[in-house]
Amino acid sequence: MEALSSFELEVARLLVETLHLEDIKPEEIPPEEPLFGEGLGLDSIDALELALAISKTYGFQLRSDDKENRRVFASLRALSQHIEQQRTH
Amino acid sequence: MRQDWARLPERGNRWALRLIRWIALHGGRATGRALLYPITLYFLLAATAARRGSRLYLRRSLGREPGWRDLFRHLHCFAATILDRIYFLIGQLGRFDVKIFDGQLILDQVASGQGCILLGSHLGSFEALRALGATVRHLPIKILMKIEHNQTVTELLDALNPALAQTIIPIGRPETLLQVQESLEQGFLVGALGDRVAQGDKIVHCQFLGQTVAFPVGPMLLAGLMGCPVILFFGLYRGGNRYDIHFERLAERIVLEPRRRQEQLAVWTQRYADRLEHYLRLAPYNWFNFYDYWDEESA
Repeated sequence: MEALSSFELEVARLLVETLHLEDIKPEEIPPEEPLFGEGLGLDSIDALELALAISKTYGFQLRSDDKENRRVFASLRALSQHIEQQRTH
Repeated sequence: MRQDWARLPERGNRWALRLIRWIALHGGRATGRALLYPITLYFLLAATAARRGSRLYLRRSLGREPGWRDLFRHLHCFAATILDRIYFLIGQLGRFDVKIFDGQLILDQVASGQGCILLGSHLGSFEALRALGATVRHLPIKILMKIEHNQTVTELLDALNPALAQTIIPIGRPETLLQVQESLEQGFLVGALGDRVAQGDKIVHCQFLGQTVAFPVGPMLLAGLMGCPVILFFGLYRGGNRYDIHFERLAERIVLEPRRRQEQLAVWTQRYADRLEHYLRLAPYNWFNFYDYWDEESA
């Protein structure tokens, strides 16, 4: 299995902790697989919780009308890259 | 099977909807209402799954074995609200005698500038509220709706009032609730229906009409995450041209603690189920979930 970068692992921990994914270990999330629908199986309410946690931790808000959204939520890797670009703290 | 609703009764009946819409627009409400009798009769005979769902529900709510008259009345009530939905959508509210209970609650909420969740159900007509709020009072309302499921209805009815169609937030996309979050922050009243479980929904079990049944926790969880009030609404069809719209505050704020979250969601969802049962008792034929709601047949 592909190893996560240290920042990807940090985001994976936030994800597991925020969404109470008790049976998933952060380091075991496949970085390229979809987070929503098939893959990790997250739903829209998970997306909202995640967005709230991201805003608290990294100081920026995910917007619903962002054209990049599909890409941002596509995988752990894409999400981590987006956070690295947008973070204010 | 509780997911059966996805096929019933809206989906299979494209032609019936077209017919009802055509009659409503070209024949007038009196003609439409007269034709509801043969249409209802047809469905009573042809829509066996819906009839079975109706029978299971009526047996439970009436506390006796329902007869053909009860089944007919139930389907007829549904058909009547579909017909009226067309008049609501084109803004012809003057035709109706609409009584509003506790409407001040909504006006105060709008005046406060803070958004809230407007939680309804498939009991009666939510279109009455939508038309009244968005078309007549110009209240800031958005409605969460499953576009995929309602495709037929949506296509046919949206053409009647494209402006109202703009107020829909489609369910089932990752960004759905981000859109809700933004709407709430802008002071919108966000309408949702809380009595049907869709595939993959987070659920809790509640007591409802004497038996345990699964309800989605989405609306309460959303209110908890957003820290906004929850106001209930029920648009009951009372026969003829009469509608009663009830508003009721469920929660000023839903507080969820990380460790007790599931338990707290269960308490709030049970309160919703209790109020739903209360209004259902006032208007038993307004229950528009025509499937095996209590999962009795697979048991």
